[in-house]
Amino acid sequence: MDKSLKKKRPVLPAVFRNSFGILVIIAIALVVIVILALLLSKTPLRTLRYFFLGPLQNMYYFGNMLNTAIPLIFGGLGFSLAMRAGNFNLGGEGQLYSGAFVATVSALALAQWGIFGVIIALLLGAVTGGLIAGLSGVLKMRWNATELITTFLVSYAVVLIVNYLIAGPFLDTETNLIATKKIPENFRFLRILEPSNLSIGLLFAIVAVILVHLYLYKTKSGYELIMVGLNPRFALYGGIRTRWYQVWPMFLSGAFFGLGGGMTIFGTYYACMKDFSVGMGWNGLAVALIARYRPAAIIPAALFFAYIESGARNAMLHSDVTFEIASIVQSVVFFLVTSSVLQKIGVRKRGL
Amino acid sequence: MEYAVEMHGIVKIYHETGLHANDGVDLVLTKGEILCLAGENGAGKTTLMKVLYGLEHLDAGSISIMGKEESINSPLVANRLGIGMVHQHFMLVDDFTVAQNVTLGTEPRYGGIIYDLKKAEKEVAALIEEHHFSVKASNKVGSLTIGQKQQVEILKMLYRDIDILILDEPTAVLTEQEIEALFVTLRTLVTYGTSLILITHKLHEIKAISDRIAIMRQGKMVGDFATDSIDEKEISRLMMGQSISLTIDKVEYTQEKMPVLQFEDVSVVRKNQEHPLLNAVSFSALSGEILGFAGVGGNGLGELESVLSGMLPISTGRVVHKGLDITSLSTHALRQRGLAYVPADRLHVGSALEADVAENMIVAARSKFCRNGILQQKRIEQHTANLLKIYAIKGTPRMPIGTLSGGNIQKVILAREIEQYRDYIVFSEPTWGLDVASSRFVYDQMTQLKSSGAAVILISSNLDEVLAASDRVIVFYRGSIVAMLEGDELNKVSKEEMGAYMLGLKRQEAFHG
Repeated sequence: MDKSLKKKRPVLPAVFRNSFGILVIIAIALVVIVILALLLSKTPLRTLRYFFLGPLQNMYYFGNMLNTAIPLIFGGLGFSLAMRAGNFNLGGEGQLYSGAFVATVSALALAQWGIFGVIIALLLGAVTGGLIAGLSGVLKMRWNATELITTFLVSYAVVLIVNYLIAGPFLDTETNLIATKKIPENFRFLRILEPSNLSIGLLFAIVAVILVHLYLYKTKSGYELIMVGLNPRFALYGGIRTRWYQVWPMFLSGAFFGLGGGMTIFGTYYACMKDFSVGMGWNGLAVALIARYRPAAIIPAALFFAYIESGARNAMLHSDVTFEIASIVQSVVFFLVTSSVLQKIGVRKRGL
Repeated sequence: MEYAVEMHGIVKIYHETGLHANDGVDLVLTKGEILCLAGENGAGKTTLMKVLYGLEHLDAGSISIMGKEESINSPLVANRLGIGMVHQHFMLVDDFTVAQNVTLGTEPRYGGIIYDLKKAEKEVAALIEEHHFSVKASNKVGSLTIGQKQQVEILKMLYRDIDILILDEPTAVLTEQEIEALFVTLRTLVTYGTSLILITHKLHEIKAISDRIAIMRQGKMVGDFATDSIDEKEISRLMMGQSISLTIDKVEYTQEKMPVLQFEDVSVVRKNQEHPLLNAVSFSALSGEILGFAGVGGNGLGELESVLSGMLPISTGRVVHKGLDITSLSTHALRQRGLAYVPADRLHVGSALEADVAENMIVAARSKFCRNGILQQKRIEQHTANLLKIYAIKGTPRMPIGTLSGGNIQKVILAREIEQYRDYIVFSEPTWGLDVASSRFVYDQMTQLKSSGAAVILISSNLDEVLAASDRVIVFYRGSIVAMLEGDELNKVSKEEMGAYMLGLKRQEAFHG
């Protein structure tokens, strides 16, 4: 025991040491991509070039890749917040979609309010997502209904309701799209890497990561949330109101998904189109898994995910790769990255 | 003479911490003997057995089984060589029957595919019959007592034709009667030719059961004796490296004793349960005394602990703290009123193992370490480092508490709760699984608290401990108080008489009806 105290300072900062396993996995994933390209493509070199270099070849693709990361970061934060308190939020899809919708409709209603209108519209979107997720938290607290099921089911229903609202009462009849009206010009985020879609939303995402990090590790409430997640019996014993932490983290989680939805509209689409967000919620979950629910790791995780996605899209455009093959590559990577067995291998290697 | 196990020069280093858990250990086990492996917490007993069972990989040394050198790198290999291990914490599926649990992984099958449940039950029933166990093959494991669950663990090993059986602290969770039954079982096993290794640090049990005793201290083997040739004092001297006394000095509290916490006719009734879990329990815990609660497991001590900590709502009656009714307060509210409480389950309730020592240290006092909702990390670390020093805990504020030894985890909990205490403090099984030195530390702390005027409530199934430490002892049987002893009565009471109270054979006048 004495010897353990004199353990020398680790050479690498904690983030890197803890990420060793994930770095090994990413390396394996990249090798797998190469192998799949060799197997599935008639022009493997061309495919690989577009896959790996496509997202970086010019400002347009690079900026779009970064833009893809924005909702992923918000979703990653959202899922992580629930997870750190020991709750699963599988309703990201619905929370993000409804948050985007409410933010859009609010923006249309608050057109005269300028910058305050932007803030209020985004907050209303966040609160919408938060309430939807928080409902599952209340159901769990009151009747012990598993949030794993309720978040998913509620989200499913919410998606259908939003679909109806977009196609029905809020449809913009002046376009041929199934979408709401476009939000006012002065509500749209500043583009920062023309001609790409990248907007200052990226900065907001980074600020959100910093805020969540500070909340979790520097505040009393964050401490309580983490303790409840690590050991609810201990938390209860220590006098923490554990019932509150079945609801509050779920609310926060949904709010971040909702905020991500609003940000995507204000930064990229300007109108809430039917099904614009399909997959964003799940991808946010994937990002959280890659980051292992640590806020600081969510930015690199989201960038990695966005890179793989943009790479697949690029390879699809410029080579003989089909949508299905691109999806297979993505899912193999996702599978590898979330494999806890592989993560443990990384950890054990570190020990020796 | 042929040896069942020969271990030579075993070295096991935990690389994360650089700890030499085993440092050149030799151990032999003769066929058909019971060997007790004794030593303090952290002496390296469990590590040595994990090496033998293939759960840990050795860094140097060799192992021979039945005279043949083997490389045991997984429990599967160990099983194949006839080595089995019963862990301190059971690994059972509560929703499965005894037969299902016992056959798990080696199920008898029709045609190699379909689980032959009938055959499994028959085989397990035969095994139970043969060894005179008290469980039924068709019982659900979730409904069994701890002693019976342990039988299932042993059955699991017997079913796999184990002839070298390792038991890690098998008596730690058992009542006196269950221990007796276990010992009978173990002696029977030996007559069937099984060789046994028991990890334990209870001296009288070593004397009662073993043929031979091997003593470890700080990762080294310090002695190996035929049990008849060595007395308890010598064993404990070798384990500790010094002599220790087994009495607890009682210090009289000179000021007037005031009631701090009172139970008034407290009952806990569960639906569909004929007998109340707590039945009209009344007592008053006074300042400056240690009030002990004794009882056999399942007789209400656990419920008493839960009520005291605000985790179990009571059905009728009142709990009063310093004149204020606190009957319906939550744990959160009780903590704010100064509840200090060392729980029986220190690993699952008393600490969050993955959180660091500092995070564990401030859980009850967290509001004191924040300003406007922001934690003051510097102060938290200082406070923790300070307490670690005062309580001589080996560790640093930012290590995960799960990497500490059991004794040190308990010291962290003690430090935290003693810091938190204002006028009363509850200790539940405070020395469970601790070595003699750590136990002594706990007793010293309780005595100190008492002399500073605390109302100390000690709930313990360790009879020696309750009798030695308490100023007053209340005995529980089936949720009711059957006896209260103090003064001369307490000093003179025999363990036999206590046993009679605890088993419901006897009841004091005052508690009749």
